[in-house]
Amino acid sequence: MTTKAKPRTTTPRITNKRPISISAVVDAVGVLASLSTRGHVYLYDTNRTAGSTGFGTEQLRTKVKAGDTLLWSPLALECEAYVAIDGIEIDPAVAEPVRKVYPGTDVSYWTATVKSLPGEEVPYRIRYRVGTRTEPVTSDQSSFLIG
Amino acid sequence: MPQQLAIIVLVDVGNALEAKSLEDNTYLFDNMKLQGSENEGTGKLVTAINGSYWSDGSQASEQVLNWLPYSLGSLPPTVPRGYEVERARQTDQKALADLEALVNRPAGQGADPSADLAQIQRSVGTRVKSNRRNRGPAAAKILDLTGKVVPADSSAAHSYPAPVITDIYGEAVDEKIIYPAEYGSPDLVTDGWYWSATVDTSRPGTYAYTMKIQLHKLVESGTEALWEPVNLTCESWLRITSEPKRNGFTGAGLGLLPLS
Repeated sequence: MTTKAKPRTTTPRITNKRPISISAVVDAVGVLASLSTRGHVYLYDTNRTAGSTGFGTEQLRTKVKAGDTLLWSPLALECEAYVAIDGIEIDPAVAEPVRKVYPGTDVSYWTATVKSLPGEEVPYRIRYRVGTRTEPVTSDQSSFLIG
Repeated sequence: MPQQLAIIVLVDVGNALEAKSLEDNTYLFDNMKLQGSENEGTGKLVTAINGSYWSDGSQASEQVLNWLPYSLGSLPPTVPRGYEVERARQTDQKALADLEALVNRPAGQGADPSADLAQIQRSVGTRVKSNRRNRGPAAAKILDLTGKVVPADSSAAHSYPAPVITDIYGEAVDEKIIYPAEYGSPDLVTDGWYWSATVDTSRPGTYAYTMKIQLHKLVESGTEALWEPVNLTCESWLRITSEPKRNGFTGAGLGLLPLS
């Protein structure tokens, strides 16, 4: 005798637009060896289908609109290494990123709401904290928000 | 020298579920860029595995591969292990404390208790029913991307559970180049399980392998929320080379170090 699974009707949960997550994959050993992020940081976002480009480079161009929520977080290429974002240098008229932590942890992320976008693309730079080095390392090349 | 090689599989889970494909939604990395790996950070990673052999031709070193699947645009893998379960417990305790405060409040004070009760109900969040038939995420609550619980009546975007590798197969396995298996581990970042493989470096060449990866889609069945597994596959490559075992200091054959 076979038993058939009872058919179950499921519907995908309806959600609002997701915040745009920007992840920086950091090769901590490479950054510490050269004290530069060139070739050692890979940026990605979750808005590729809307038109973001430059995936896997520092010069990620993230497609945004005024009112979008952005969320930056780092990811260490080797799980034993420590990587955090120390700051994000961007025109405060466009966005003012602030540091927050996941509740109950000391793991941080940075978040901002896009206030307004000028006609051209907006460059920004990320400062990273890597390993036990006390001075942050600023990204070698700018990343961009594009309208 | 025996070496632990890590391959990170970064999946844009939201877009992969929408497209029902891992193609263009998966980015692979390894820690062998300086040793010759190509296409780091793309879906076309070729991992370099540099083996060595003794003068009689037998394999001189054992290379070990480890795979770490991560989710792009979810809670990061660096939050403490079992974070979703811990957050579920914390918010339950908070709701109980709020409820106690509400009960102990003298009558006639404060606003409408039913409004306060509704607020407590929202702060409890939404529990996802565990699905024991699959090795899916543990029963916990829906969290958003900042670690807060998502109320049942809210349509706030949620964080996806990390992808799970369920199998590794294909040319490299059929040809007996790699011997992959899943292991239990006290590792803090992979929730206790990881895929690992030893490599036969005696037959140089480029070999493809395929990973079966399980993602989880949040669905509603009546009033219940469930993580529905979605199985997808993704291909990657290994390029095996092998050279005679040599002294890493002198570059010459094996012997005593030139100490004076």
